[in-house]
Amino acid sequence: MIGYALEVAQAALALLLAPGLVGLIRWMKARLQNRRGAPVLQPYWELRKLFRKEVIVSNNASWLFRATPFIVFASAVAVTFLVPILAVPLPFDGIGDLLVVVYLLLLGTFFLSLAGLDPGSPFGGMGASREMTVAALAEPTVALAIFALALSAGSTNLGQIVARTMTNPGAALSPGHLLAFGALFIVTLAETGRLPIDNPATHLELTMIHEAMVLEYSGRYLALIEWAAAVKLLIFFSLLGNLFVPWGVSMALTPATLAIAVASLLAKLVILAGVVAVLETRIAKLRLFRVPELLSVSFVLALLAVTSSFLLR
Amino acid sequence: MDSVFSQLCVLGSSLALITGLILLWRRGVTAYISAFTWQSRAITVVTVVVAYFGPDHELYWVAGALFILKGVVIPRLLKQMERRFAAERELDPYVNTATSLVISGLLVLFGYAITRPLVALSHLPTRAGMPLAMGLVLVSLFVIISRKKALTQVIGFLMLENGLALLAVLGTYGIPLIVELGVFLDVLMGFLVMQIFIYQIHETFESIDVEQLSNLRH
Repeated sequence: MIGYALEVAQAALALLLAPGLVGLIRWMKARLQNRRGAPVLQPYWELRKLFRKEVIVSNNASWLFRATPFIVFASAVAVTFLVPILAVPLPFDGIGDLLVVVYLLLLGTFFLSLAGLDPGSPFGGMGASREMTVAALAEPTVALAIFALALSAGSTNLGQIVARTMTNPGAALSPGHLLAFGALFIVTLAETGRLPIDNPATHLELTMIHEAMVLEYSGRYLALIEWAAAVKLLIFFSLLGNLFVPWGVSMALTPATLAIAVASLLAKLVILAGVVAVLETRIAKLRLFRVPELLSVSFVLALLAVTSSFLLR
Repeated sequence: MDSVFSQLCVLGSSLALITGLILLWRRGVTAYISAFTWQSRAITVVTVVVAYFGPDHELYWVAGALFILKGVVIPRLLKQMERRFAAERELDPYVNTATSLVISGLLVLFGYAITRPLVALSHLPTRAGMPLAMGLVLVSLFVIISRKKALTQVIGFLMLENGLALLAVLGTYGIPLIVELGVFLDVLMGFLVMQIFIYQIHETFESIDVEQLSNLRH
């Protein structure tokens, strides 16, 4: 019973923390660029504002356009139940392993690009085609990178992968893990629309991907999509943090270990947010034609990770 | 202790291999040179690790020579050459970047396949890094044949030598010091000869694009 309560608490925590994480990255980036920056809590105010605003929908839009925000948000929320954010093992571990997680995330992306095409605006179509290009290259890499971990743990279950790495700490420094970490990190930037692939700070630029797809959305629909995007970022960060550096994740369901788990999760998120902020300050956006090349780098890294964990077992 | 040793060796060799792969992704000679420099440093670190855990004190000398030659002298010479051919910085390989990355991934797999008997025979704690070193050798061969500019081919050759040095250190704890020094001297001489060649090619064809060599001049 306490396991189920913990599942709900974990999902609620993820939903609550996600906008803050986005705000934190923005704030760190602003400080690094010598700007004062909006407060960390700014995304929460933005969400509240959007939820109050009226929804304007194009006359050409079909039911798909209206259903998409809910599908995107629901798929992101469903993933928060399946990813080890605070504790392992959890009762829902049996429902979905890494394949379910990867394809639930892809489901959201898929519907978002459909909705981008739906109202027939040129921006949406462009964004959707680009998003599909990126997703088609990024999705297999996510699966492959986590497979590398699954191979050394002997299970595709995310909770078991975490538990296995904790009992065998040397594995965290094995080349398979490191290569997979590199691959998953690049893919995280691609999937969540961060800088070398997409620029989250611009609204009107010909090279934008995510913003182009959601350009037609407004009001609470936009709020749901933005929130889901933030949750996706948090999911990827906690995958990076908990699968590769699992220390801190609670193995027993006692208050003390759970407190440690929350603290270590926050620490990991802050560290990763710092890394992303520094990276985004130092590099420029890639030309669109170079994006598939970067993603094939990460694919090759993931492939090598699988190979080395398969052969060095 | 042995497990830490082998982990460190594998880590260092993976870093060396990754710098080789990064080189395939980057454009511009400057990026190539810095990737090569970092690779040499990674191999120096592996050599020091083997020298420490081996324990084999001769290897410290090898590591020192390696660092001075490939980590400092050759990169500096390469940068000099790069400055001279500044107008030709743009590189256009025969094989595009995405394909060459996938091919090099397959080459590393092939490296794993062909070093399997070697790894099975060896009892050294360093054996796990050998497939990676072999992969580096194969990837650098690929760099040599897939790039057009003479300068990048030279960098490919130097990477190939790096891969061989890594393989030697991991497979046998290094060859005798005198042989090692001979190899270093060979590399330096080979590099200087190639440098002269490149200058001559540039003088005659006003380009270091090796494709031009098939055209008749005058």
